[in-house]
Amino acid sequence: LSLASAVPTLAQTGFPDALSQVTLAHYIVVSGVMFTLGLVGFLTRRNLIIMFLCTELMFQAAGLALIAFGRYHLDFSGQTFVIFVLTVAAAEAAMALALVVLLFRRKESLSAEEWRDLQG
Amino acid sequence: MSPRRACGVPAIPQIISPIALFGLCVLGGAGVCLALPRRGLSPQVVGGLIAGLAGGLLMLALGLNASRDQLPNIYFYVFSVLGLGAALRVITHPKPVYAALYFILSVIATAGLFLLLSAEFMAFALIIVYAGAILITYLFVIMLATQAPEEGQEDVAAEYDVAAREPIAATAVAFVLLAALSVMVVRGIERMPSVAPADPNALLADMPRKVDRVLKDAGVLAAGETAAYDAARGAIVVSGGEASRVLTQDQWPRGLTVTNSELVGFNLLRDHPGTIEIAGVILLMAMLGAVVLSRKQVQLDEDAKLARVTQLAAADPSFERVSESPLELVQQPTHGSHPAQGGVS
Repeated sequence: LSLASAVPTLAQTGFPDALSQVTLAHYIVVSGVMFTLGLVGFLTRRNLIIMFLCTELMFQAAGLALIAFGRYHLDFSGQTFVIFVLTVAAAEAAMALALVVLLFRRKESLSAEEWRDLQG
Repeated sequence: MSPRRACGVPAIPQIISPIALFGLCVLGGAGVCLALPRRGLSPQVVGGLIAGLAGGLLMLALGLNASRDQLPNIYFYVFSVLGLGAALRVITHPKPVYAALYFILSVIATAGLFLLLSAEFMAFALIIVYAGAILITYLFVIMLATQAPEEGQEDVAAEYDVAAREPIAATAVAFVLLAALSVMVVRGIERMPSVAPADPNALLADMPRKVDRVLKDAGVLAAGETAAYDAARGAIVVSGGEASRVLTQDQWPRGLTVTNSELVGFNLLRDHPGTIEIAGVILLMAMLGAVVLSRKQVQLDEDAKLARVTQLAAADPSFERVSESPLELVQQPTHGSHPAQGGVS
């Protein structure tokens, strides 16, 4: 009940007005910059765990873009799809971290370059 | 307002010139490149400041040609500065634990942006799933997979954490991608539609029990009366009493609205049936994979294995006849457990 009575207070402070004033481009720019930061991190960092953390950053940026476009087109499929982005992110985290633990047990190091002989 | 608008009529034409956009991308790229960790004395703070300056100028340029009421409100700027700053720190912090904590901050800021986009359900799901579950797993693995410093020794970051790999090439590639992606922004921006979907209350027709409950709680509905949403009239028809009444929207009690989670739920289960099962299968497979991958492997040398097998065979006379598999297991790991030997011979 207290939460319900808090809603009009937010409305009086102009909070819902914010929803009518947003533009798509701002969100797309934020999402793009966040994706780019994740990409830079994935390419430059050599710690396996941080590399996977950066993929999570990219997932998050993709989710932001999906929700912004969904809001713009007034279509809730964007939000539905973010549920699957979260699912894939969770599955990826589970598998990746299991692999990282396995690799760490072998070479006692988290460096991605320890494993360059895996190629081919 | 119809969800489909005529294309090519942006509310704010040409918000930023392409040259300014590309210049800001170059500036931001240079800043991020400087901010990446390096061996020795690294200009991380300067790089962070340059990257922040580029981001700030980009936001300023996006708002330059717009009037005040066309701009997002202050919360948008707060959340995006927090989110992007934390993201920059995730990729530049030499210590993995701090990087993961900054990632949590970035997740929370993104959840704030989701709230501004009126996606409440996803905002809280993001916090619960990312900050609550995934990041805690990351923190566990980081703490499991880092060597503790020796006694009396200074805690130094590992070599692979302090030196970035190919910082210049990677930032150049990534920011060229960003410039290409954000060219569409140059064409002008459109304000988001301010109203909810054509008739947000249409879903009330599918939720008769919610309508009943809310009306009963508000005391509008007497005993024996039933209420139903009439989509054609956009009002609630109460029948079953002495005379049927029509409740127009301004007579509805507060709380009789379709919430975001209900909209997402209907979209998920009605428009995309079966997909939630696919998500479940993905998660099950991931769980099985993680269990198989992280299973503890007992390292036994050849003599110990032979001794163990003879011991088992002696204890159980039906051992060889019934189950062949333990013997196969003995043969097979000779390669796997001694990769070095296999490579030499």
